[in-house]
Amino acid sequence: MKKPLLTILICLITFLIKAQTNSNSCLDANTDTAIVGPGVFTINGIIDGTEIPTPICAANGTGATNGEWYRYIPTNDYTVTISTDLTQNSGKDTRLHIYSGTCGNLTCVAGDDDSGTNFLSIAEFNVIAGTTYYIAFDDKWNDSGFDWQLTEGAVVLPPPPAPVTFTQQTLPTTGTNRAVVDMNGDFLDDVVAVTATNININYQLATGGFNTVNIATTSADFTPNWSLAAADFDANGYTDLLYGAGQGVTFMKANDTGTGFTEISGSEYVFSQRSNFADLNMDGHLDAFVCHDVEPTVYYINDGNGNLQYYQSTVGTAPFNLGDYSSGGHYGSIFVDYDNDGDSDLFIAKCGGEEARRLNQMYRNDSYYDASNTLVVNYTEVASQIGLSDPMQTWSSSWGDFDNDGDMDVFVGASSGSHKLMRNDLDATTGIVTFTDVTAGSGVLDMTDTGIENVTYDFDNDGILDLASNGNILIGNGDMTFNLYTSILPSAGSFGDLNTDGFIDAFSSAGSIYMNDTTTNNWITLNTVGNVSNINGIGARITIETALGSQIRDVRSGDGFRYMNTLNTHFGLGTATTITSLTVEWPSGIVDVILNPTINQTLNIIEGQNQLSLDEFLLSDLILYPNPTTHSLNLNYENHLLKNTEYSVFDMNGRQVLKGILNANVLDVSNIQSGNYILKIISNGNIKAQKFIKN
Amino acid sequence: MVKNYAILLVIIFSGLLQFSCSSEETYVPIQQSAATSPVIFNPEATPFNTLSEYHFFEGNLKDLSPVLGVLPYQPINSLFTDYAHKKRFIWMPENQKATYVNDYSILNFPDGTVFIKNFYYQNTLPNNLPRIIETRLMYKSNEGWKFANYIWNDNQTEAYFDLSGSYTDVTFIENGVTRNTTYRIPSAAECFTCHKSEINSIPIGPKPQNLNKDLAYADGVKNQLQKWIEIGYLEDNLPNTINTVSNWQDPTSTLNDRIRGYLDINCAHCHSQDRHCDYRPVRFAFGDYQGEVSLGVCVDPDTPIAPYSKIVEPNNIARSLIHFRLNNTQEEYRMPLLGRTLIHQEGVILLEQWITSLTQNCE
Repeated sequence: MKKPLLTILICLITFLIKAQTNSNSCLDANTDTAIVGPGVFTINGIIDGTEIPTPICAANGTGATNGEWYRYIPTNDYTVTISTDLTQNSGKDTRLHIYSGTCGNLTCVAGDDDSGTNFLSIAEFNVIAGTTYYIAFDDKWNDSGFDWQLTEGAVVLPPPPAPVTFTQQTLPTTGTNRAVVDMNGDFLDDVVAVTATNININYQLATGGFNTVNIATTSADFTPNWSLAAADFDANGYTDLLYGAGQGVTFMKANDTGTGFTEISGSEYVFSQRSNFADLNMDGHLDAFVCHDVEPTVYYINDGNGNLQYYQSTVGTAPFNLGDYSSGGHYGSIFVDYDNDGDSDLFIAKCGGEEARRLNQMYRNDSYYDASNTLVVNYTEVASQIGLSDPMQTWSSSWGDFDNDGDMDVFVGASSGSHKLMRNDLDATTGIVTFTDVTAGSGVLDMTDTGIENVTYDFDNDGILDLASNGNILIGNGDMTFNLYTSILPSAGSFGDLNTDGFIDAFSSAGSIYMNDTTTNNWITLNTVGNVSNINGIGARITIETALGSQIRDVRSGDGFRYMNTLNTHFGLGTATTITSLTVEWPSGIVDVILNPTINQTLNIIEGQNQLSLDEFLLSDLILYPNPTTHSLNLNYENHLLKNTEYSVFDMNGRQVLKGILNANVLDVSNIQSGNYILKIISNGNIKAQKFIKN
Repeated sequence: MVKNYAILLVIIFSGLLQFSCSSEETYVPIQQSAATSPVIFNPEATPFNTLSEYHFFEGNLKDLSPVLGVLPYQPINSLFTDYAHKKRFIWMPENQKATYVNDYSILNFPDGTVFIKNFYYQNTLPNNLPRIIETRLMYKSNEGWKFANYIWNDNQTEAYFDLSGSYTDVTFIENGVTRNTTYRIPSAAECFTCHKSEINSIPIGPKPQNLNKDLAYADGVKNQLQKWIEIGYLEDNLPNTINTVSNWQDPTSTLNDRIRGYLDINCAHCHSQDRHCDYRPVRFAFGDYQGEVSLGVCVDPDTPIAPYSKIVEPNNIARSLIHFRLNNTQEEYRMPLLGRTLIHQEGVILLEQWITSLTQNCE
């Protein structure tokens, strides 16, 4: 008697567990018996249901042609695990999606492709009693059937999410996705994809969303397989593009209405790597720079009329040697003012071959005005002097002030091997820069992934820069330490603000928007419009002061390795509700200062419209002597001992020619040309100014 | 006396042979003898402006009929370059010879050695004619190996020195398939990118591992290395056995041996120590082989590209990055980096067969 009852019970239980069969669609699952508890289920034969699971809740995108569906209604709140990682599935390749909602209007709850052994799937998620969930498998990789298991456990609270998350949205494009950058002068970031004969622009609309426009081009000799850079180098209000290919460089120059492009393809052989726009000779016009993989770097000097003259470092009449190793190894160029002297320096991340070929380089810009008031621009390679001459293998670096101490630090992302985090220990009194390796203990080595794409933004707007590295985010703590959150961003793509909400979004190379889910933090976005300086303000240093301290950014075109990111400058403000001052130091030397700008908005800053008049600060209580002077000035300010006092020296054209920190009541002016100047100091928040003459 | 007759016979025989591009497998015989090679070559001088000035060939230049001392050779495997055929020759100055280093290293060649490598298509459209594109020289001067390149004119009567790099469109039929390519004639920097070790230029192919095979000379089939010894181009001190690559096209070899041969000649010039892409976790050189891991089996790629999980994922072509790289024409993804714009279909098929044959589970 006992034995038959047991058999019946076993059969009954087996029946209960196995009764739920796979359905061909979500609606079919509604009519089939729902799963209400744990068990092992079998998809016999092949995955052949007609409804392809969508949206896709797991990695690796589209490509499935069929699906199998189940309905699951838990009887209690649980943490549920769905797994195909079962011994009988060895060698199979599954993909899993879990939804809530109603058929035709499903929302991803969880999903997985490859978390299990080899290519099997495991997903864990929390469920609410009585709610209907749909469990669906697709044939993205393989259509053979398999077993899967559902287990129910006590509710486990999920780990706290990253400080910032992103929601994927599709945006159809035509061509190769390469840029998030404003193309039409409205300062809203657009999405750019290109083919040899077409530029596909999704213009961001002020009302949200995009307007898709295709602009046919002549067939480009070279396409941006290796990199794309963007800037308005002919200063007509419409953004131009640089295509860096394996055998040459093409420029696409936008016409005066932004409705067409003129192709300019150089005949020169260039194995392009990172490309940039920057004002190399500081004449106010944007030049272009392209790293060369197998020769010295090349650049294109703008004659001021939007015509570009090709040069190659070390060759012929090239005015500058910028990345001059004969067999190349130049991969990741980035322009940054690392020594806070007001001009852009050039760092090149290097890779491959003998050690000498792959030593990272820093070209310090030693620009100055000569006795005839002519600007002289020189670059000197100084990496070994400042601690950055590293033979590690890297394709790109991220430059930002990660500890908000007023100078640019660097994360050098390894393409192979170990990443490096280097703190800038600039001595503002002497101007001497040394970089200190602070990699150990910083948290960046928690990221074991290597790769080629490294940039920095303040993704959570907390006022501290974060790193985006090959799909991972390292959230900055402001003290040169970071916390790693993996696989949050696309492993490759562009960055900018795709809905102008003040939070940085991404656009993946595969064509998905990763829209920032935002935080409660405050922000400001700045658009720099140069006139004496280049029109995009590339090379400008922007400093903001808030209750949290100061932050700096450099405006640049071309960071990371392959893609183009926004030209707009973005600051997170954390909980600060006011910006006490916003300073733009333009490449021309002009300094604009805006006090108390409105936050949580985009602000256009036009060069020279907010220059601080020093006349009102010309007070007799700041005494300079000897005056005129030849070497040094002594300062007497109400007999205060001047310590940690910011100073700037302006010429009579309003150009800033010298700046730094005073730690004594004496200033060395021996390196500036003869002439009339105004010295400005900020002591205890008070601006004081006085004229002096340098003989 | 007997010997002289033999030489005479050979000379007569070679005169009867009509040598052309189509007879790739048959070569005129070469004999080192009292006669002097007519080749004019000074490795310390500026390269000649034209190919003909070297006197490497006699008769119609385009027939590539080698003169005395210019010896044809064939490596067991050769780099895929958009289906171009290659006809190779070596010349050395009188009384100079190369010496053996080891099976896997290029022979130690004497100063003045010249490799002459002609790139051509057998059947170009519209007229179904052969077309020689370029003749690359690599020669050893007292400063090391140097490059020179000669681009052929349209009527195939002369080739002119040019190391600046250029393109030429070619439509050709190969294995019954018509293909188009914008053929890249390399610049000096591109030559060096593949032919380098640190700051020095080096040849790639002429290693014992890759030369140890029979070649049909006009006077009979002979092992190439033995032939080189016989005519005085190689010192007679080879080991009894040479560890030799398999011909990747040889169906009687194992898939593993064939893929090793294929990857050695197509990939190892970059992915070896002190080469252009030495930093990637693969070692494709035949002599560097430490098991399948050297070829990337179960090795994580340094640069993540979804959905490729390993450089080689056993029995899973769709997740193997190496397959994505070789079966690709986008220049930022394709491998090899230089020298190819078309997919090498036959090579990809071999790669697929090999990946499918692998059975291990990656941990």
